[in-house]
Amino acid sequence: MQIPASTETSAESTLPKAILRSGRGFRLGYTLTSWLGLLPFLLFCLLFELLPAFVIIQGSFADSNSGSFTVNNFQRLLAGISYIHAFQNSISLSLVTALIGAVFGFFAAYGVYNSRANWLRNLLVGFSSIAANFAGVPLAFAFVSTLGVTGFVTVLLHNIFHINLYDAGFSLYTFWGLVLAYVYFQLPLMVLLTVPALSALKPEWREAATNLGASNATYWRRIALPVLMPSLIAAMMLLFANAFGAFATAYALAQGNINLVTIQIAFAVNGNVDFDTGLGNALAVGMIVVLLLAVTLYTAMLRRVSVWQGR
Amino acid sequence: MSNQELFNDFFASRSRRRFLEQAGALGISSVALASFLEACGSSATTTTTTGGSVNMAGPIDMQTLITNAKKEGKLEAVGIPPEWADYKDILDGYAAKYVPIDYQAEAEFSSAQELEVFTKSKSHAHGDIGDVGFKFGPQAMQQGLVTPYKHAHWADVPDNLKDPNGNWCTEYYGTQAFVINTDIVKTPPTSFKDLLSGNYKNQVGIDGDPRQANDAFIAVYSAALAQSGTIDDIQPGIDFFKQLKQKGNFTSARANIANMTKGEVAIGIMWDYLGLGFRDSLKGKPNLKVVIPSDGSIAGPYVSIVNKTAPHPFAARLWVEYLFSDEGQLFFLKGYAHPARYQKLVDAGKVPADLAAKLPAAEQYTNVKFVTDLAKLSKASATLTQNWPSVIGQ
Repeated sequence: MQIPASTETSAESTLPKAILRSGRGFRLGYTLTSWLGLLPFLLFCLLFELLPAFVIIQGSFADSNSGSFTVNNFQRLLAGISYIHAFQNSISLSLVTALIGAVFGFFAAYGVYNSRANWLRNLLVGFSSIAANFAGVPLAFAFVSTLGVTGFVTVLLHNIFHINLYDAGFSLYTFWGLVLAYVYFQLPLMVLLTVPALSALKPEWREAATNLGASNATYWRRIALPVLMPSLIAAMMLLFANAFGAFATAYALAQGNINLVTIQIAFAVNGNVDFDTGLGNALAVGMIVVLLLAVTLYTAMLRRVSVWQGR
Repeated sequence: MSNQELFNDFFASRSRRRFLEQAGALGISSVALASFLEACGSSATTTTTTGGSVNMAGPIDMQTLITNAKKEGKLEAVGIPPEWADYKDILDGYAAKYVPIDYQAEAEFSSAQELEVFTKSKSHAHGDIGDVGFKFGPQAMQQGLVTPYKHAHWADVPDNLKDPNGNWCTEYYGTQAFVINTDIVKTPPTSFKDLLSGNYKNQVGIDGDPRQANDAFIAVYSAALAQSGTIDDIQPGIDFFKQLKQKGNFTSARANIANMTKGEVAIGIMWDYLGLGFRDSLKGKPNLKVVIPSDGSIAGPYVSIVNKTAPHPFAARLWVEYLFSDEGQLFFLKGYAHPARYQKLVDAGKVPADLAAKLPAAEQYTNVKFVTDLAKLSKASATLTQNWPSVIGQ
């Protein structure tokens, strides 16, 4: 997440030194090789990010059958109550899981940051890297076999404590069940994103604050949180995007029973009835718009991060 | 088939064709001309061979078929996966009795891909026979990709399961069944009505979202048949699942092998051959029982087609004869796909007892219905897409 957005002034101050030190030819050679290294990545971006985005936007304004220009796809999207619900569900699912992930992830990361035991820190970070990437069908089945109707935990609670989760109103196959599954990969991702941000907190700041008579709470309220907040919000936006684009976990868990935008797109392009690429594209454009908002907030926050953390 | 073989084949048929072309142009041999026309995909249904005049629309006597197939030397099968419906035994049986089969390159092709092969075959003859989902039979006929052939057991296949002119014919079908985990369910349901009235809390599941998965779609359609007694409207089936959900019996978990093994879905509604396959591979962990619902079960038929521009027209027709022979049909049954001549075989007492013991009783299959009107299917599909969200509260 930390794209070093170095400020103008620092770039200017380092530039002349570099020229003095290395001379013109070397610099040119350096830029050439770095461009060559970048080329495959740029090509990748063009082929798999920009072109598809362009094709999707173009396709959303084309009739599914004739291909002529139309705004009908968007009209159908706005008229279909289940599509609007899909956006509501996707956005609230992503917000809720991002918020839960961010809060608990932050505390976990702070624990990692504070722990003197190196092995514990390594263990937690290592576990987080694995768990953050554990998603999709395996994750869904892991939850089914623990918290499903016949899941291990469900049966255990029933047999030992005589609590029937499903009679008590809990169901894994609902919105909140899915929230639980998503938090499984959101929380560790937050840990991974927050640990580096925490190390930007300089011990001197705390010492200075204590010297000036600040309590622990004051230090957090006036110094640590304001410094960390942009990083935390930026991380949260990444979590939001992460959840918003997810499909496999939700589909594997409850098929179409939880109405999400990604699932609606799957039905539009891979459904029983004719496949309706126009509508699928329009839904995808809707997702792009939502994600653009999240990314805008993310980059704005990153700019603030660089001010405070001197990066 | 390796690339090298493909390459050789390509030239072999090209040179043969060129030879025939020249021969035909010179008017040397009417026999060669006729077979040349056949090879080029002419609509002629009668051809002349060394054995005399043969009606290619069938039936052709076995001796003529075998002699000519052996001359052609091989069969090119498209979309015949050996692990599906016991095609392995059928492929082996045919190859051992008659001519070798090239099938590996295109074994896993989908119905749409098979038709694509037949379309390409117009410019370069390739691929003799195929096995496609029901709706692709009429589609292939419309696109002019298939040639009619009526096999010797034509009369045994119900009229709604075959093209009256012989362009396609149902070879086997799967039908909707309840796959029941008897370790959990002590009173197994035998009808859709039972599902609704019994105490099966969170136990009944379907195989996917019916808006997308055909298996689940036909499950809802079967419920409609059970509720209303007709296949004219799928809405009663949608209402059935709405009630089932309200009662708390319908689970959102998918009836796939993982959830069936786990017991998460204790009663899965799915194709009978899937359930029977699960039962065998799980070997009693848990115990599964397959029941055909008595009040409504709709089948999904697969049809056999012969490429209009088949490079080996006799070998292709011989394949069709073999499929519909007692031997071929019983191989389908061994692979848990019910053959088109199932009732005839049962009536004649030709189903071996050990095979019958592995299957749901034959009586359960007497009420199986087929939706053969494609307009009805697409109407049902549209209704379902529109109204299914109301079942799951969207």
